[in-house]
Amino acid sequence: MNSLSRIVGSAVFVASGVFAATLLAPADARACGGEWYPMMQVDPRIQGTDKAEDALDEGKTLAAAGSVIRMIPHIRQLDVTKTKIVQRASRVLALATVRYDGALPLSLEVPYYAQGTWLGRTDAQRRANLDWATKTLRAIASARHDDPAARTELAEGLARVDATRGEARGILEELAKKDLITSPDGYAVLATLRERDGDAEGRRAALDRCKAMSPNAAACRADTRAS
Amino acid sequence: MPGGHASELSRHMTPRALRCLVALLALLAASCGGARDEGAGTGRLAVTAGPTATDVARSTSRALAEDPATAVGAAANGDPDRGRALVLEYECNRCHDGTGQPAIATERHCTHCHEDIATGRFGAGTPRIAEWKRSVLPYRHAPTLDDLGKRLRPGWVARFVHEPYDVRPNLAATMPRLALDAGKAADLAAYLTRDAPRERDVALAGSAAAGRALMEAKGCGGCHVFSGVPALPSTPALGDAIRRTAAELAPDLRHTRDRFRRDALVPWLLAPSSLKPTTLMPSHSLTEREATDIATYVLETPLAPRDDTPVVKRLPLLARTVTYSEIERRVLAITCRHCHGDPDVAGGDGGPGNTGGFGFSPRGLDLSSYRSASAGLLGRDGERHSLFERTKDGTPLLVAALVARREEEAGRAPGDVRGMPLGLPSVGAEEVQLVETWIAQGRPR
Repeated sequence: MNSLSRIVGSAVFVASGVFAATLLAPADARACGGEWYPMMQVDPRIQGTDKAEDALDEGKTLAAAGSVIRMIPHIRQLDVTKTKIVQRASRVLALATVRYDGALPLSLEVPYYAQGTWLGRTDAQRRANLDWATKTLRAIASARHDDPAARTELAEGLARVDATRGEARGILEELAKKDLITSPDGYAVLATLRERDGDAEGRRAALDRCKAMSPNAAACRADTRAS
Repeated sequence: MPGGHASELSRHMTPRALRCLVALLALLAASCGGARDEGAGTGRLAVTAGPTATDVARSTSRALAEDPATAVGAAANGDPDRGRALVLEYECNRCHDGTGQPAIATERHCTHCHEDIATGRFGAGTPRIAEWKRSVLPYRHAPTLDDLGKRLRPGWVARFVHEPYDVRPNLAATMPRLALDAGKAADLAAYLTRDAPRERDVALAGSAAAGRALMEAKGCGGCHVFSGVPALPSTPALGDAIRRTAAELAPDLRHTRDRFRRDALVPWLLAPSSLKPTTLMPSHSLTEREATDIATYVLETPLAPRDDTPVVKRLPLLARTVTYSEIERRVLAITCRHCHGDPDVAGGDGGPGNTGGFGFSPRGLDLSSYRSASAGLLGRDGERHSLFERTKDGTPLLVAALVARREEEAGRAPGDVRGMPLGLPSVGAEEVQLVETWIAQGRPR
């Protein structure tokens, strides 16, 4: 009995010593016999987002969107302004969503369990997707202050919704006056908006700018841009 | 009572276990204490390793107050105190040593960073390092500003800082045209030449012909160009690295009569290191007579006028299509992105032309992609302007900037548009033609 209590007592004492040592250990790891480094893991989302941006620029919109959803399936739940990488990935997905009018035909690009509502099978899903996309583009434009690229893309999104078409045209006209529309897609949207408002000459001028900027004539089909 | 528990426990410990535990705790406490000292020491070291800008400013201020020789700075119509602050604002210590201010961190220091890349000390481990090495080779040296006032005239320094031109034909002309007026240039010059005695007017009574002969015999043309006189015979500087560096840093002697103090040239020729300890200019064991002859030739021989033919030949627009990818490959990726980069991929520093630096306020011009280049830049009015906006003569702003750089290099009066690439050699006429054609074609992606 006596020896058992001695063993228990010793164990408690040693444990207290180890606990105290842990508390006393300095933040600077050099004090404990050498430097300790965490294992660095490369964040695959950085390179992935880079590639998704390139794909979007090359007109491979679905490939870009699919790549973002596969990398960050929960992207809809993230705060778009929190980190640069989330902002960049969200921008790609939001623009793709806008360009496919809220219904991304991604069944072959994304596994079924990650598809969520991105396919926009119902009107409600499609509207919700567009709503997320325009909110995302607005948040990015707001975070990037006066960046004409972010404003061009916001206008592209706003042009998809009846209630915000006026705002979209206002943004694009202001940018066009200063030659600051940053993409052929922006000019294509402007052409459609001008056509809706009966400005045939303005439509032609915007389409000419779109065609000059884009090697891909399909990108300047005005009828699909703000329907 | 905790003490009671401890003594209770200690009764149950064998003496050996107790000794081990005490020794372990003592060792740990000692090492941790040491670490705290070391940490604190490191912290102190970080503060005291080099003088801070404030320390330097204070000590220089004291020196200025105590040394009557520094009145020369003020005599050059500049204020050395304001000049000292401007050295920091314009980040002269980002490229030059000898500014009287601590060198800026290596990752932002032009020549230190280039030297690290060229010599393999740069730790990026990137596969592009070989490409970078080739790119930085012409940009490894900037003249040190040590003891500048002992050799150079404050007035010339002020003019050069205000409107830089190519002084060293064997070195890339990398002095940027900063955003400063003549008053600030005079302040900077007053600070950089603050330690110099007033220049004396010296009559040189040497023989220019003998000076010329001596220069040929001593091989001055091996390092120096002397434009405006018959070419000095030269042997290419193919010797060791120091000789090559010396040749790169050697100025065109045409400019000596404007830039060099008249009373300092003979002493400089006799013993260069007495005026600048770090100079690579060798001592040629000249007699005073010989030095005077050379000085007479350099300062007084007639110079042929500079070639004033137009520098920039604008080539006609191309008939073929030019796309952004060609512009990116031939122009933007080679020079522009160094100062107009994407801050998101460079730790927040988009370079002087984007997020600010070298005294420039942030202009928000990012040339890292088609999209960002199309987004223009912040003008002096605080509004965004297109990079392709027409200037007064109808030239797109981007083209005007590329053309202006060639004018600056030739020492011609700069116009309203700052030459680009800032502090780097101008781009070729064919590249300007590409950019001009691309813009005229509507900037195809």
